[in-house]
Amino acid sequence: MKYVGKSVKRVDGIKKVTGSLKYVDDIKLSKMLYAAVKRSPYAHANIVNINIERAKALKGVKDIITGDLFTKRAGLYLEDKNFLAVGKARYNGEAVAAVCAETEEIAQEAVNLIEVEYEVLPAVTNAKDGMKKNAPLVHPDLGDYKCAPVFFPEPGTNISNHYKQRKGDAPKAFEEAYYVIENTFYVPHVQHVPIEPHTAIAQMDADGCLTVWSSCQSPYAVRQSLSVAFDIPLNKLRVISPAVGGGFGSKAGTTLEGIIIPLAMRLRGRPIKLTYTREDEFQNAYVRQGLHSKIKTAVNKEGKITAVQNEFIWDGGAYTEYGVNIAKAAGYASTGPYDIDNVWTDSYCVYTNHPVGGPYRGFGMCEIHFCIEQNLDIVAEEIGLTPYEIRKINGMKPGGTTGTGELVTQSGLMECLEQVSADIKINEKSKLSSSKKVRGKGIACGWKSPSMPNDAGSSAIIKLNEDGTAHLLVSAQDIGQGSDTVMTQIAAEVLSISPDKITIRTGDTDCTPYEWQTVASRITYSAGRAVYEACQDAKSQLLELSQIKLGIYERDLKLKDGYVVSKIYPDKKIAIADLALGLTFDDGSGIHGPIIGRGSFIPPNIRNADKHTGLGEHPVAYWTYGVQGVEVEVDIETGETKVLKVASCFDVGKVINPQLIEGQVEGAILQGMGTALLEELMLKDGKVMNPSFVDYKIPTSGDIPEMIIKFVENPEETGPFGARGVAEPAMVPTAPAIANAIYDATGIRLNTMPMTAEKILSAIKAKEI
Amino acid sequence: MNSVEYYSPTSLKEALNLLAAYGEEASILNGGTDLIVRMREGQSKPKVIVDIKKIDELHKIEIEDNYVFIGACVHLNDLGKHQYIIEKYPFLAKAALSIGSNQVRNRATCIGNICNASPLADTATPLLSLNADVHIYSENGLRTVPLNQFFVFVRKTILKQDEIVTGISFEDDDSILGVFYKMSRRKEVDLSTVCSTVIKSNKGYFVSYGAVAPTPVRLYKTESFLNENTLSQETIKEACMIASQEVSPISDIRATEKYRREIVEVTLQNSLLEWL
Repeated sequence: MKYVGKSVKRVDGIKKVTGSLKYVDDIKLSKMLYAAVKRSPYAHANIVNINIERAKALKGVKDIITGDLFTKRAGLYLEDKNFLAVGKARYNGEAVAAVCAETEEIAQEAVNLIEVEYEVLPAVTNAKDGMKKNAPLVHPDLGDYKCAPVFFPEPGTNISNHYKQRKGDAPKAFEEAYYVIENTFYVPHVQHVPIEPHTAIAQMDADGCLTVWSSCQSPYAVRQSLSVAFDIPLNKLRVISPAVGGGFGSKAGTTLEGIIIPLAMRLRGRPIKLTYTREDEFQNAYVRQGLHSKIKTAVNKEGKITAVQNEFIWDGGAYTEYGVNIAKAAGYASTGPYDIDNVWTDSYCVYTNHPVGGPYRGFGMCEIHFCIEQNLDIVAEEIGLTPYEIRKINGMKPGGTTGTGELVTQSGLMECLEQVSADIKINEKSKLSSSKKVRGKGIACGWKSPSMPNDAGSSAIIKLNEDGTAHLLVSAQDIGQGSDTVMTQIAAEVLSISPDKITIRTGDTDCTPYEWQTVASRITYSAGRAVYEACQDAKSQLLELSQIKLGIYERDLKLKDGYVVSKIYPDKKIAIADLALGLTFDDGSGIHGPIIGRGSFIPPNIRNADKHTGLGEHPVAYWTYGVQGVEVEVDIETGETKVLKVASCFDVGKVINPQLIEGQVEGAILQGMGTALLEELMLKDGKVMNPSFVDYKIPTSGDIPEMIIKFVENPEETGPFGARGVAEPAMVPTAPAIANAIYDATGIRLNTMPMTAEKILSAIKAKEI
Repeated sequence: MNSVEYYSPTSLKEALNLLAAYGEEASILNGGTDLIVRMREGQSKPKVIVDIKKIDELHKIEIEDNYVFIGACVHLNDLGKHQYIIEKYPFLAKAALSIGSNQVRNRATCIGNICNASPLADTATPLLSLNADVHIYSENGLRTVPLNQFFVFVRKTILKQDEIVTGISFEDDDSILGVFYKMSRRKEVDLSTVCSTVIKSNKGYFVSYGAVAPTPVRLYKTESFLNENTLSQETIKEACMIASQEVSPISDIRATEKYRREIVEVTLQNSLLEWL
């Protein structure tokens, strides 16, 4: 292949490195107004009264809205959220009123003049407490909420989804087990920290057409949610996402758009902008849900896991419109990438009065694997196996079955395990570096499937230009992962024209075709497949016209470097440029007209799992498998951990762009390191105690370890050129591999993250005593 | 609307006049890496800003008459990369380069770090252990105050409203050996959980710590013990015990009191081991 599999330069590279790319906050429209938000200082409180008179009187203030003006709920999977609190505030920071004014400063000053009277309610600040019978209810009306049929809320409780997986006969397997072990873990909330905070502009024309410019991953999903929330038909609602400065999931759903739309609807013609501060980002956008987990494992004498029982309790925060699906995804994947015959899993999404949980790179997989992969090492040690051996015995191989009971036909996990074990030399002990610093190694496996509705669709349009160049239209968003380049490469390969002759346009629901969402590591796979189909469509039109022109059967023609060429007589050819507007005959007449290729794709045959057992023959598109190995050095005097080396190997089906995929894995490893060692959204009575980079630390370039990044290519038959997703999966094994390496070095297992220097030192000292 | 008047005097005299005229309403702007952040967070609300960066004489590092003088507007990168400082006072250079990011260090100043009087000011501990003097200029002329008398409390110094710190100086002493430690959650761009400078010279031991009390502090009891005893594994151990009790850290979002005391012990031990 000429373009696929090559490190084609990023098509958006020059604009990004020169700073000339325009993001939403760069957009300045005439007569623009600025919004600011009044937020609840309480985690849970009835709103008794809101006095806006003083704020209204301030010069420059144009309008003020409160939640009672727009009470319709919205949400992706479960319609449980209002953009402005209605009746009560459910988290510290929830929007209760919004102002728009001539300047940001006036808007902020007006916000300070709004007086809100609250009646403070007891708050749920721990998901486990939230499940108790007498717990305060965050959503007493849960039973009335509209919900997709694959989720199971329990009205009258704080449980917004209870996913069950019942495979085989777990109770019996536990009775017969040679060895049973149970471990508990806790994963705290973290935040995505995209470099660009959330930002949006809304403007409604005189005729009722609403345009929303938003830094979002999913213009179409955002359009759909907003359409429902504000009763605007889709043909009158346009969402434009010109560029996204990182998302990691936080820009997948709707956040601040719904705050400014009511203002735009009341002030027709005036564009209204709202840009979050970094503090907003930590408190008022999305966070990764917390997880309390319990894993019970049954093993036989040979080290084969015969059963697992999992309890996942997700701290979903105040609204779980998106989080319910994380609980489901975690349930599907609850065994980890292991072939286990008997499974009993309960995964609960629980409302709390915490910041809103939402999609975050990994979609629950990072959290559950932090538990699964440490549990596995504990089991291995108890029964006298090495971490490598227990994974070799239990790891998923073709012919095995997943937790949902699906037969596995494709898995490169064993190849990845061998590769990483060799690269990190897992079976050789780390050398001591000094008496004060100890080293250790750890490995972890991971798997992930795209967590999306069964019928999540993608589409693409390719338009050929009369000079032989082309425009590719998709709504897959380049959020930094490189999708613009990958889509372009796929088109270039099918059409056999060089990538620099293709211009990609994305992110405008009026102009670029449908894409469900840029999430779930599904873009290369699903949008890529739609691009492939669109280009095949254009290609077949080109061949059809060439057959007439050249008098050669279609089957004997191919595309090559901008020409349609005879496979047999290579000098017989016609330029794509000459066919782009149709075929013109010698007498000046023409046929067919301009060539537009269209492609649509839905992953085939994905069907719902059974409601009661969670079992299904094919409930997900595919699984991506991979392994990482880590070597760490721990300072036993201070507890500081340094990650020295990470080896990674994933089965990605097909590497479309080696440099970009390496970048994805490097970023994933760093993000995984951040959560393992540094990051935690510190919550006290529902309040975020560290809502800035002063006290919320992510890794810097100074923390980058040596990385050995490899791939296995067992093709995914439904993906373009065999590709499957890897952007999220690559982060999944990093944190548990670090935890396992710290254990190898020190004998310390914290069962929680971040594994800070202080926690490690404290555990080392406790062990000495 | 909040509006701020901005002045950029070119002489000390002019700056003093502005400070005298506006009193409490005025704030001195140097690198701005603390002031601007505090203004954004609403913790400082000056009506008048007096930017001292255009006063040329404040930009120098001088080594004269057995003294090293660091001017008020010397950036942390200029201090940390100064050849003489690197050679003779590497612990001070290291402290200067441990603050913030490279970009921040291009703006932030050592004197600003001192005047901001954060308990965890990274350049405070080397300067405390160097027995540095703060040079303060006012209408009444120049006065110098030992740095260990300069800090009063968290973000409070003895500085009066109509005074400007022109620089800081310390004796250029060939016998000085020093060790700087910074314990932080992350290697780059982080605040100290604990920071320290231990100096050994002909005059004895000088031990200073940051982030373990309301101000950066000298540990006099620990110093006396060290000065009265010969360095050995045993005396180091005892000195560490004394130091961990002499400090008075608190628990906060970055670390617990207990961990800070443990780190005081470890850093003092490792500093002293250099000379055993």
